[in-house]
Amino acid sequence: MMQWEPRLPRALPAIQQYGLAILSVAAALGVALVLRPSSLNSFADPLFLFAIAITAWYTGPGPTVFALVSSFLIVDYFFIEPLYTLRMTTEDIPHFAIFAVFASVVARFAAVRRRVEQDLLRSRGELENEVAERTQQASLLNLTHDSIFVRDMDFVITYWNRGAEELYGWTPEEAVGKRSNDLLQTAFPAPYEELRAELLRSGRWEGELRRTKSDGTEVVVASRWSLRRDEQERPAAILETNNDITERKRWEQEISKLNLELGKRTAELEVSNKELEAFAYSVSHDLRAPLRHMSGFTQLLQKHAASRLDDKSQRFVTVIQESAKRMGSLIDDLLGFSRIGRAETRKALVSLEQLVQEAIAEVRPETGQRKIVWNVGALPALYGDRSMLRLALVNLISNAVKFTRTRPQTEIDIGCSGGKEDQVVVFIRDNGVGFDMKYANKLFGVFQRLHSSEAFEGTGIGLATVQRIAHRHGGRVWAEGLVDQGATFYLSLAHRAEPNL
Amino acid sequence: MSVLGRILMVEDDAKDVELTLTALEEYNLANEVVVVHDGDEALDYLYQRGQFKMRTGENPAVMLLDLKLPKVDGLEVLQQIKSDEKLKMIPVVVLTSSHEEKDMVASYKLGVNAYVVKPVDFHEFVNAIKELGAFWAVINEPPPGSVKKN
Repeated sequence: MMQWEPRLPRALPAIQQYGLAILSVAAALGVALVLRPSSLNSFADPLFLFAIAITAWYTGPGPTVFALVSSFLIVDYFFIEPLYTLRMTTEDIPHFAIFAVFASVVARFAAVRRRVEQDLLRSRGELENEVAERTQQASLLNLTHDSIFVRDMDFVITYWNRGAEELYGWTPEEAVGKRSNDLLQTAFPAPYEELRAELLRSGRWEGELRRTKSDGTEVVVASRWSLRRDEQERPAAILETNNDITERKRWEQEISKLNLELGKRTAELEVSNKELEAFAYSVSHDLRAPLRHMSGFTQLLQKHAASRLDDKSQRFVTVIQESAKRMGSLIDDLLGFSRIGRAETRKALVSLEQLVQEAIAEVRPETGQRKIVWNVGALPALYGDRSMLRLALVNLISNAVKFTRTRPQTEIDIGCSGGKEDQVVVFIRDNGVGFDMKYANKLFGVFQRLHSSEAFEGTGIGLATVQRIAHRHGGRVWAEGLVDQGATFYLSLAHRAEPNL
Repeated sequence: MSVLGRILMVEDDAKDVELTLTALEEYNLANEVVVVHDGDEALDYLYQRGQFKMRTGENPAVMLLDLKLPKVDGLEVLQQIKSDEKLKMIPVVVLTSSHEEKDMVASYKLGVNAYVVKPVDFHEFVNAIKELGAFWAVINEPPPGSVKKN
């Protein structure tokens, strides 16, 4: 900020001050000498007093004392008998005493006057400075978008910036002098006395106010008050900064409404999840028991009536038993599938390479004497639910083993193919019977099968389970294949550095 | 029920009882089985009250416990047994239709000695029961105070 210099008469340099003293004393001497022949000796004293006064007025104490002493000597030399000598008689002493007193008084008076004048000038300069500064500050306050106004302790508005005009709609001319409460119809969040008490205690207050604009619409403002006190520390004025938060409040309300709905939906989902769990529980209990009885009693029948049953009847009993067994595995697979939808995923760092080895070990008993060439490439570790990922890999690998059964030599390649940065794509490629790409979308549906169960057994739930596991890991599963040319299954999984993302 | 059994079977389903007994018969263990039909009866038997007031004092060598039972369910029975100083040593095998992990975890937390899911296939079922019977009633040494045929 610029500084205004007080307009003071600049002090003269010392040499000029003494010059002025010599000049004024010399001038007094000249005039006195000119006037002496007309025996106007009595003019000498006032002339020198005048010279001393001038010196005292414009210079400092040094030149003034110099003028005083030199005037004293000159008067003694030129105008007091005996002339042209510095000698003086006792009768001259009163004269000189009076002259000295007068000269001192004049000099003192001149010096005091001068100091007073200088003080006055200085404070005028300071005042001008402050006025200029305040004016500039006020114009700066106008620049801000915040709405700012000042009111006295009786709510009367004394300042109103452009931001306030923009927010509330009244010009400074309309607003200044009005009571802010009446103008803005302020609704305080608490009784005003409480707000005022806090303002007086801490010097500030912050809160939300509801106000009405000049066009009658309501606004919600975030308001900050600062208390200004006068020199006697009495509360003098309140500066209010206001920000329009109407829109924000509306969004907040919208969000809390949405959150409420979300909470309700979550609760509903939890209830239906519980129901589903109870349903699955009773399925796993109550549906398996009759199957066990069917299987058990047909077995007992076969044993007891073995001699009376012909081959055909024996076969019927076997079919009943096999069907019961198949129903049992369907129920088990369906329950597993539903469990993956319901269970929470427990994420930990798992090594895919190790999981693949475990999965291969698990399906190995199914392979019997078959010749299988396994090519397993490097696979990364990632955060996921270990048991779910293991199940997905077991399903995919056991599929590959199953659909290559008709091949003289089976080749199964497992590896990691490029994906995006945050995705891992695992592929499982086999040289089996493959499939027609036009049925590719049917591969992952529950109970969807592309082969008869006579050719390749299975419940049709395995790939649906894999898909569900992929979804629960932020990925997906897809396949490429050709009839009799083998198939490749791709499993993509979110690859994250953090466990709980 | 005057015969003392070494195996206490808690099972409400008559068909399951029949299948289980058939399986045990093949191992000549069936006549050592006491069958009760709900959790309440099971506790009556163990605490010698109600219809079992007159039975002699020994504990069974093993208890085959279904989970889904009328009145008092299997987990409650298990909890009662395992928190009673006099009964907690009885080996308890949960024998259930359910694959539910929840049940399995709860049973092991309560201190069950084994957890077996009844296979649907009768062959497997018979094998499982036979092995269970053989292990708990013949191979395993039960705690003191149990009935065991010499």
